[in-house]
Amino acid sequence: MEAEVKDKIVSIEKPEIIAPPDWKPVIVGILCNWCSYAGSDLTGTSRMQYPPNIRIIRVPCSSRVDPWFIIKALQTTADGVLISGCHPGDCHYISGNYYARRRFLVTKELLKMVGFHEHRVQFSWVSAAEGAKFAQVVKKVTDDVVKLGPLHLYKKENFNK
Amino acid sequence: MDYSKEIRDIAAKLFADGKIDVFVGYRMNGFDDNQVPVVITDPKEVSTLVFTEKSVFNLTNYLKTDHTRGKRVGLIVKGCDSRSLNLLLTESQVKRDRLYIIGIACEGVVDDKGVKMQNCTECIVPDAVVFDEMLGSPRGKKDYIVNADIRALAEKGLVERREYFEEIFENCIRCNACRHSCPLCYCAKCCIDQETASLYNGSNTASSAFHALMTWSLHLAGRCVDCRNCEKACPSHLPLHLLHKQNEKVIFENFQNHLAGVEEGERGAFYKYSLKDPDDFIM
Repeated sequence: MEAEVKDKIVSIEKPEIIAPPDWKPVIVGILCNWCSYAGSDLTGTSRMQYPPNIRIIRVPCSSRVDPWFIIKALQTTADGVLISGCHPGDCHYISGNYYARRRFLVTKELLKMVGFHEHRVQFSWVSAAEGAKFAQVVKKVTDDVVKLGPLHLYKKENFNK
Repeated sequence: MDYSKEIRDIAAKLFADGKIDVFVGYRMNGFDDNQVPVVITDPKEVSTLVFTEKSVFNLTNYLKTDHTRGKRVGLIVKGCDSRSLNLLLTESQVKRDRLYIIGIACEGVVDDKGVKMQNCTECIVPDAVVFDEMLGSPRGKKDYIVNADIRALAEKGLVERREYFEEIFENCIRCNACRHSCPLCYCAKCCIDQETASLYNGSNTASSAFHALMTWSLHLAGRCVDCRNCEKACPSHLPLHLLHKQNEKVIFENFQNHLAGVEEGERGAFYKYSLKDPDDFIM
């Protein structure tokens, strides 16, 4: 199930960077405790398969996600970031995801301008009952990131290159 | 635009009436025709005050320093400065009854070379929005225009934009002057500094500049008033306005024409929401 890399993969932002043959994308998933985390749990208990490239971080609400978290993930290890929360209107804290939605749009547009492909950072609404949707979303994000190639911008290991 | 005489008179009168303890204004820097901010506590120094189109700095930045904390302050604000003051008042950072505000109906300021600043040519609110006393004749609000640099950048390709911004981040020396000069960056401990403990941040690499500038601009999104104090303070002359103007554009276009600090009592764009906010980018 792990994303397989067959052809030569070139980083879309920096075409001179070619992925090593054993490259596997790292995706950071930041999930809200009440819906998406429960949704991913359901995916597991229903024995649905999804790519293991995702590393899940649990947060109390999608509005807990400061744009800073996304920046930090991209700066340190991640090739892609997925942020998931409750559907609009379903927030455990009534309006958290409405606030989060505004921040996500601005963050996404800023990253796009600075030279990140828009598929590097993706957002989804997944409820606790949507185990199949969660598997689908992770699959889509992983496939997208595999196409984009490794993210070599501003990574800490790139210092002396 | 020369209100030096009026400002001296007002400041002298305020000191004489005992209405203020300190006055924050501009004076000549002493060796060329540029100006520096000055905090006056002695009424005798009032004669050094000036205000012309070279008065570029946003003085509301001095409301967060020890010069003015807890004191009654006289202050000069232009249009953009008054917007940041409005936000500081709304966010409970300063008390209105401690301030005596001289608002300016601003005609635009010029940079070191005498060219009108870009934010003044695109200015939306030239008149002060909070004031006790207004100098000059108000000209009313203007229409929002998308920044020319943002429009030019939007036409470039992904790789080109990446190269352009990579150079900006490489040239940043991480002195944090942008943060210290920003009137709306008033946190006692900045979240960016939490990273200095680790090895890879805090030094002047593109990586750490990316982290610092992007986080900084996103924490100011919906609050930045485009006074360009950060750019004036930047020793590397980085076009920091690009980050802020992009956020401002996205917020204006998507969130009911929100502009920071224009309405009294209105908080930043991220402090509220609408059910009609765009949702189509979310799976």
